Amino acid sequence: MKQFFTIRHILCLFLLAAVIFAGVATYYKIEYWGFSFKPHERTDVWTVDAHISFEPTGEPIEVSLSTPRIGDEYKILSEDAVAAGYEVEKDDKNHRMIMKSKALKEKQDVYYRIMLYDNEDTIGKVRDHKKPKVQEITYVDEQEKVMVKELWKLADKVEGSSSAEKIIKLLNQEVPEPEVDSFLPVHKNQKIMAEKIIYLLAAKKIPARIVRGVKLGEKRRAVPADLMLEVYEGSKWMIYNINTGTVGLPKDFVVFQRGGVSLLDVAGGTHSQVRFSVIKSVVSSFKMAGRRAKYENSHLFDYTIYNLPMHEQNTLKWLMIFPLGILLVVLMRNVIGISTMGTFTPMLVAMSLVKTGFFPGLICFGLIILLGLLIRTWLTKLNLLLVPRISAVVIFVILIMQILTIIGYQFDFKIAASAVFFPIIITAWIIERACITWEEEGAKNATKQIITTSIVAVVTYMVISSDYIRHIMFAFNEWNFVILIIVMLLGTYTGYRLTELKRFAPLMKDK
Amino acid sequence: MLSLFEFFSRSKKLRAAGVLGMNARNYNVISKNNRRNLYPLVDDKVKTKTLANSIDINTPKMIGVIEHQYEVGDFMKIVANHAEFVVKPAHGSQGKGVLVIKNYADNVFTTASGKKLGFKEVYQHISNILSGLYSLGGQYDVALIEELVHFSDAFQNFSYQGIPDVRVIVYKGYPAMAMMRLATKESEGRANLHQGAVGVGLDMRTGRAINAVSHNMPIGIHPDTNADLMTLQVPFWREHLLIGAQAYEMTGLGYLGADIVLDKNRGPMMLELNARPGLAIQIANGKGLRNSLKKIDKRYPRGLSAQERVDYVLNNG
Ligand SMILES: Nc1ncnc2c1ncn2[C@@H]1O[C@H](COP(=O)(O)OP(=O)(O)O)[C@@H](O)[C@H]1O
Ligand SMILES: [Mg+2]
Repeated sequence: MKQFFTIRHILCLFLLAAVIFAGVATYYKIEYWGFSFKPHERTDVWTVDAHISFEPTGEPIEVSLSTPRIGDEYKILSEDAVAAGYEVEKDDKNHRMIMKSKALKEKQDVYYRIMLYDNEDTIGKVRDHKKPKVQEITYVDEQEKVMVKELWKLADKVEGSSSAEKIIKLLNQEVPEPEVDSFLPVHKNQKIMAEKIIYLLAAKKIPARIVRGVKLGEKRRAVPADLMLEVYEGSKWMIYNINTGTVGLPKDFVVFQRGGVSLLDVAGGTHSQVRFSVIKSVVSSFKMAGRRAKYENSHLFDYTIYNLPMHEQNTLKWLMIFPLGILLVVLMRNVIGISTMGTFTPMLVAMSLVKTGFFPGLICFGLIILLGLLIRTWLTKLNLLLVPRISAVVIFVILIMQILTIIGYQFDFKIAASAVFFPIIITAWIIERACITWEEEGAKNATKQIITTSIVAVVTYMVISSDYIRHIMFAFNEWNFVILIIVMLLGTYTGYRLTELKRFAPLMKDK
Repeated sequence: MLSLFEFFSRSKKLRAAGVLGMNARNYNVISKNNRRNLYPLVDDKVKTKTLANSIDINTPKMIGVIEHQYEVGDFMKIVANHAEFVVKPAHGSQGKGVLVIKNYADNVFTTASGKKLGFKEVYQHISNILSGLYSLGGQYDVALIEELVHFSDAFQNFSYQGIPDVRVIVYKGYPAMAMMRLATKESEGRANLHQGAVGVGLDMRTGRAINAVSHNMPIGIHPDTNADLMTLQVPFWREHLLIGAQAYEMTGLGYLGADIVLDKNRGPMMLELNARPGLAIQIANGKGLRNSLKKIDKRYPRGLSAQERVDYVLNNG
């Protein structure tokens, strides 16, 4: 008795270790590889094309475009330039894509393309300890000076946590104050708005600058750069939405350029302009996992099943539900106490049902068993030896499956077509066992056995057919360790089985 | 649906009654007392018989063994001097494939149930045995031919056709619990409880009936013969227990079940041994087995001979 406790204790320790390991692994996968509990989880991948066009002046050409830099806001899947005949080079230090060419004549179109994923909202602050100089503003006249003062007075009444937010909100009010109306030009665009805000902030000696980038969204073709505003607060630049005054970098905004540098420089060209197009595509999150792992510099990923070719992955995905099925079998037999025809038969049948679909599979399987039993009864009369007889049943099962599959195909009859998914040997074996039980213990016992086996198969099916469960067992396969230890622990379970409570009921004694 | 609470409360009641469950039997009793390599001694009836004969335990005499298909033709030579015999698979269980021939005359074999068979059918039956039709897992088997047991009249009224036998559970050499199995109409002459046979729990000291069940429910009279089951008393009780006790030395199995039948002329005979005897005997006795096993573990002396152990049980059991 003493020894038995230690085995169980050791297994309990293992279980604890396995649960901790699985928990940590799961956390890691979700956090760093972007795995999810949900099946069919998709990741948005944004493709941003910057189309640069200009007219050459006849001198050697050098195009330089400021590009997004790697930050917390998103991850970069790929980045390249499409410029035939150009020498392309990435200046990683200054985050610029540089394309050079000898002197050319015709109008030029070159492209820069970047693919991004896992975009996130961030505060979007940039540290800068050197306080930038604010341009001294020169008022056109005294009237303007008064107007700026008035505007700031109005801005102070606006709700907001910073001067920048207040002033932006003031300028964007739906029903503008008369002062605002007269301050802003009639035709205003983002650029004018940004400049006006910077001007007003400068009056308060607050440094501010324009940030250029692209707002991500569907159906955005050939649009000019979108603007945001950076305002120097404390010892950092805070980013603001020009239209709402909201602070922070939203996940749908990709910054191309900020600070003193230009967005686009073209040497040897005039009339240069850059237009952005955005395409959104969805990719299975799983496929992105490897990329994410690379971001974390995690070589672990190379040794996981997710790095295997798709075909192998699918096979393994299939295998990964076996442990759960096995756990169910152990529970049904040793804890509930149901005895079935063959230990793993119900599980294998359940797995076939997953492939065929529930009702078609069940009907088809019933049909195979029924036909098989009829043939087997006929075989009984022939008095064959055991091995040839069971072999004959196997061949008959194969023939039945063929016929059903052909019928299913010809008449587009799904139920029959699923025949091909059932395990042949297991099916033959069920038929053989059912037939022997029938002969020896009567039709009642045989039917009872078939029914209990089917019920167990259906219960197993219910569990393993769930997309969620199959996804989780595959994506978080470390839980198979936990299942393994639980199965081993059940191997030390010496309590009563559920069915024994009924069986031994006449012996029950109240204490 | 049974609630978890109910599961535990009922489990507790069963534990209080000392009932041995299947899991506990396998884990705590069988795996600790029966070494795997000893199983073949009891799973193979030819081996069991040979061993039993070597230490003078009474068994039905072996007439012959047919091991290969090509020997099936020799069958008539083997049974040449016998008008009655039994053919059974050496690795059979639950009475599967047992062919009891009551009479052989004029090329016709008459079975216990009165069926008449020809050569061809008997040959076919032996062939089936050899190909493993009746053995566990379907592995190849051999056919054992042995003398017919002439059942004592002592139980005539207690059994409907069929042959009553006594099952003794032997733990560490001590007979721990016993029951008699009586065939019924429903069990078709077979002595298996789950097929509807009647189980009668026996007092370990006297061999007298203490309780009887049919399909798990207590009964007082035999459903077919109406005999009062409580009057049942197994004669040669000491000899029955002795066969069980000796089986321990013979096989080395710490937990075993011995099936014993009573022959009219030769007394109690060991029919077969079982290394994983079932738990229905608890229901037949109306009490759990665990307490008996515990008692033997804690209180019964070690190092006694089979005779002494049986005496110990008869005096203290
Ligand atoms: N020698 C025999 N004489 C008469 N009946 C027998 C004999 N051997 C077996 N039987 C009958 O067959 C049944 C099963 O035989 P047994 O040896 O116990 O094999 P099994 O392992 O299949 O239970 C017995 O209960 C008995 O009724
Ligand atoms: Mg038997």
